[in-house]
Amino acid sequence: MAHIEICNVKKKFKKTIAIDDISLDIKDNEFFVLFGPAGAGKTTTLNIIAGIAFPDQGYVKIDGKIVNLLEPAKRNVSMVFENYALYPHLTVYDNIASPMRSPTFKKDEAYIKQEIERVTAILGISKLLDRLPKQLSNGQKQRVALGRCLVRKPNVFLMDEPLAHLDAKLRHFMRAELKEMQSNFNTTTIYVTHDYMEALSLGDRIGILNNGKIEQIGVGDDIFYRPANEFIAKMMGEPEINILEIELVQEAAKFGLRIFNMDKVFELPRDVEAAFRRKVPNDVDMGIRANDIEISISKKSDEYIHGTVYSIEPIGNKSVLIIAVNDIQIRTIVPNDFSAELDSDIYMKINYKNAIYFDRNTKAFIFRHENEDLSEKVI
Amino acid sequence: MKAQYSRGVLGVSRSLLLAIYSLFALFPLIWMIIISFKSDAEMFTTTFIFHPTLSNYYSVLVGTDYLKRFLDNLIVSVGAVIVSVIVGVPGAYALARYNFKGRESLAFTILSFKFAPEILVILPLFMIYQKLHLYDTYLGLIWVYQLITLPLLIWVLRGYFEDISLEIEQAAQLEGYGWFHVFQKILLPLIMPGLVSAGLLAFIFAWNSFTFSLLLSGFKIQTVTVASLRYVASDTVHYGYMAVAAAIATLPEIILALLIQKHLVRGLSFGAVKG
Repeated sequence: MAHIEICNVKKKFKKTIAIDDISLDIKDNEFFVLFGPAGAGKTTTLNIIAGIAFPDQGYVKIDGKIVNLLEPAKRNVSMVFENYALYPHLTVYDNIASPMRSPTFKKDEAYIKQEIERVTAILGISKLLDRLPKQLSNGQKQRVALGRCLVRKPNVFLMDEPLAHLDAKLRHFMRAELKEMQSNFNTTTIYVTHDYMEALSLGDRIGILNNGKIEQIGVGDDIFYRPANEFIAKMMGEPEINILEIELVQEAAKFGLRIFNMDKVFELPRDVEAAFRRKVPNDVDMGIRANDIEISISKKSDEYIHGTVYSIEPIGNKSVLIIAVNDIQIRTIVPNDFSAELDSDIYMKINYKNAIYFDRNTKAFIFRHENEDLSEKVI
Repeated sequence: MKAQYSRGVLGVSRSLLLAIYSLFALFPLIWMIIISFKSDAEMFTTTFIFHPTLSNYYSVLVGTDYLKRFLDNLIVSVGAVIVSVIVGVPGAYALARYNFKGRESLAFTILSFKFAPEILVILPLFMIYQKLHLYDTYLGLIWVYQLITLPLLIWVLRGYFEDISLEIEQAAQLEGYGWFHVFQKILLPLIMPGLVSAGLLAFIFAWNSFTFSLLLSGFKIQTVTVASLRYVASDTVHYGYMAVAAAIATLPEIILALLIQKHLVRGLSFGAVKG
């Protein structure tokens, strides 16, 4: 129930810069996801908000008040640590009760009991209350840590990969449960993850961190469909997006694109073509996701590009088919029943409408085709 | 049938070996206690048949100020351990947690106090103690005993603190516990096994210490180890008295060791956080 701001925060650990001039504005009741690869500075950012780490420069504000000098105990933030940080000498019950027994947030035992019953029922750990942390599996420990965080009514929940060690089924369930809980509690949450699905499904907004810098902040659709650069595009989605070098060619005052050094010039969607015409870029990369490539065994039309089967990897309800075209590997998705010999001929058609264009030199986003029907409706 | 037989043989031989070992280990102690009940006339007989007498005990406990010395020893040793705990726990915490310049050198310096033979430092210490009027005082002995007790405590507890992840402390802080509460509720229970075992071991080392108390005290204050020496007179050696003094002096150690035997090995070999 608080509005969290970070202004120009920098943090160094000896000579490595963990956080390089980050500013975030997290609204009241927002579910904000910090997403990024390992070592991006996500946990350090959380620690700075919690008050465990001190910024070398910049402010942390909770509800407009600068809290840089406020002790962690007085900030009223609730945090789930990545390594659980359970008290080894206390039972699960006492671990979860601990925040409600502290001098600052003291509650009576009847309330504590009721809260613990509520939270442990949601997390499915009601039967573990008498155990010590060393008698728990990692997934159970993580749920206890989550429980200890959720029994509070803090200014902000800080969650550092709270679902990372749960099995897939439980993770999906907990993801939904967390989202539900968050909307019921009306509490600001900052959630750190390196799982893009978690980020997209949970986050009201997502902030992407890399090397201590914010790469992009936006809602899930923005991040997924209009990534600010190639790095973000590669982070989102499985299999990884294909980044292909393309060549823009001008034919009869219209831009088209050539790919794989083929002779054929493909037509660009109208708005993309117009965008290129407004500002002609030098070198262009095209990002195309696996499910925007259509596969065929025969060459149905001249839009189909010839390649050979490089590998097929079944991943449950579908398979990842990698096609080699002139030694470039293209990741595509095919139905599970698809079968083909390795190195056999195959044809693919790229759906250029869903392609994302980047500047090859700066790796920055240039343009993508917007769904015309939608934009017309909006107007 | 055969397996049962071999298991039986194994059991018997194991018991036999253990019995031989315990006889070997305990014999000096047993012999000392036997001597303490012997009169001077029978002192040098090596048979187990003798006429037990309590006269040695009477002479030592009533005839000399042995009990006062016992008390002195207790005050000095317990005092030394208490000071070591008060200084050592924060010291160990700082060495484990704070990343300051020269941390490892400092830790090593503290450990190195145990390297030097006591006799090497005793002369300068003697001069300094005379000047500072610490000679023959409780404070002086407690202070110098820190050389024995403090390094042990700091090094054992440092390991314990290092085993407690920083996040555990941070989690407690975020839950609204102040510094002192974090220490009392979280850290103290976790280092307790180490604190108890290192503290008791330090007590035993301090209790047994001889060189420091021999040279830095001797009139008003005397420890039992030094007091036992007085029964070595110029004309004769009162083995009976010495045996009594030694037997009583070992009592607190034996009692303590038996009480905490289980925790002693665990506490010194295991870390704080397991599992």
